[in-house]
Amino acid sequence: MNEATQAEEIRDNWIQDNISRKNAGDVLLALTGYRDNQIKTHWLSADGKMKAVTTTCVDAQFASLSPSMPEVAWDEREIHDLFGYQPVGHPDLRPLVRTPRWPDTFFPLQKRSDDFAQWNDVEPDNPAKVVEGEGITIMKVGPTHAGIIESGHFVFSIIGENILHLDAHLFQNHRGVEKALESLPIQEAKPLISRICGADTVSHQYNFLSAMENLAGRRVPESVEWQRIILLESERILSHLNDLAQIPAGVGFTVAHQRGLAMKESWQKGLAAIFGHRFLFDAMYQEKMMASKKEQLQQLLVSLETMWMKWRKLVSRQQGFHDRMHGVGVVKREDAEQLGAVGVALRATGVSVDMRTIMPLYRHNRIHIPQVTGGDVEARFQVRLQEVEHSFALIRNALEHLQGKNQEASWRIPDDLTGEVVSYSESPHGLNVHVVQMKNGVIERYHVRSGAYRNWPVLALAVAGNAVADFPLINKSFELCYSCADR
Amino acid sequence: MNQRKKSLQLRHVDAGSCNACEQELTALLSKDLDIQHYGIDVVASPRHADALVVTGPVTDTMQPALKKVWDAVPKPRQLIAVGDCAAGCGVFQNAYASHGGVESALKKPDLTIRGCPPDPAKILDMLREMMQN
Ligand code: SF4
Repeated sequence: MNEATQAEEIRDNWIQDNISRKNAGDVLLALTGYRDNQIKTHWLSADGKMKAVTTTCVDAQFASLSPSMPEVAWDEREIHDLFGYQPVGHPDLRPLVRTPRWPDTFFPLQKRSDDFAQWNDVEPDNPAKVVEGEGITIMKVGPTHAGIIESGHFVFSIIGENILHLDAHLFQNHRGVEKALESLPIQEAKPLISRICGADTVSHQYNFLSAMENLAGRRVPESVEWQRIILLESERILSHLNDLAQIPAGVGFTVAHQRGLAMKESWQKGLAAIFGHRFLFDAMYQEKMMASKKEQLQQLLVSLETMWMKWRKLVSRQQGFHDRMHGVGVVKREDAEQLGAVGVALRATGVSVDMRTIMPLYRHNRIHIPQVTGGDVEARFQVRLQEVEHSFALIRNALEHLQGKNQEASWRIPDDLTGEVVSYSESPHGLNVHVVQMKNGVIERYHVRSGAYRNWPVLALAVAGNAVADFPLINKSFELCYSCADR
Repeated sequence: MNQRKKSLQLRHVDAGSCNACEQELTALLSKDLDIQHYGIDVVASPRHADALVVTGPVTDTMQPALKKVWDAVPKPRQLIAVGDCAAGCGVFQNAYASHGGVESALKKPDLTIRGCPPDPAKILDMLREMMQN
């Protein structure tokens, strides 16, 4: 075989193998680039089995999957920016993460040594994609905002009152987390993992621990598993309460907004008293605490539920509120599936996918998936309502299994782990994946693909055709974090 | 300057936070702490602000925007760093696209509120103290 046909074969196999995984109904966990010219996808099938598909860059090029799998369009742009590998055939290879301020030769994930010189003294703006034509206005928002929110830059193409196209320029908050994790001794990585995102921190901690345990061959004691469920569900409640409180703010329903925030605050105060942190940072690394706090948590749950019932009544009887949410920011089921939507945004279109049904951690639980369709703001609101109540039940059940005293001293991660492992969980914002490569106890590569990352392009699609004035409402119904997308 | 004892208008810029600091700033506006009660508020434009509140370690992409917002705040003005990241001692300190806090990215803050994230009650106390001085 000559070189050209060999290269062609590599290309065709890469595309074909990935398409057949997708057609088999597998879930794409991540598309990951590596320093040694390797690119891999990891797929998960419904029975929990994982499969990797690999390709190798030739002359720093690889075949783009984006034309047939639009959900990886961002991932491939990111690999192009951070490694300098070019996805050949990509329909839109504008910079995603890097800005004109980055030195041309700077590919942060490519080299181990810091070959960094100096930021260019120019504006960080990347070219925007806009719609051109008569009567079309371009409206730019951000990166700084008028309230207390994370930074993002949005370029709207508008006609009259309606949005034709939204080009979301995220990564304003890109710090370089994946690189910062490389070569860190494993104990020092823990606080950083916790802080990848304030809204999904427990899910990130879980992924990290489960990756390390997988490599170390640790069998996690059942009592520790129940504690983990309690922490994951406590975070889901916290995050959903926040998001449910924000949606009424999007339509000026201040009473529901403020009472929602008050519920969140009381839950947060309670969690801080029990687990020592208002956002549960580093909470899962501690394994010893629970049994003694059982009653405290039970009481906290009762008092939250009392507030919750009143709040639910308040929001369900306001027909005007539901009218405002109905039919706004619609995501069609086909589009959600095509773009690889995850979490609440996906389930709100009628797709019953929740990673908890596959996670071994939840094997003794029956996961109830809300049956909601419509894909609009209302549907996303309803999914969260039901999921909060399901989390109450899951915590109750877990508390019952926490019998007696848990004497478990916290597990110490061995200092000599080697190998590659992929871990995942259902965060409040959907499928959250970590791809971890270790060598002799040191992190070689750490790739984080969070739920928000997958859903940003879905949000951009959801706002098209809606009134500009509804953008805040639609945005809040997704309530995507920037931090774990930008990293 | 006397007016400042009665009111403090804040403009916020997130410069790479993990969003927990933002959530705690938002908690200041909830009915529990109700900062408006003390004459403190968050305003939409830097032109209307007495002080700029910065969260996050200041990413390189946000650095020029942060500088522009600061330049737009009328004098006399104050710069407030909220959280360990902005204070220059957070977990992202050594990441390649982080400028390592407000001081190295812009200038020494007039007030630094430590914590990861700082408790909202502590933020409120320190803001009120600043108003008195
Ligand atoms: S100080 Fe802590 S809470 Fe605040 S942005 Fe930094 S990591 Fe997040």
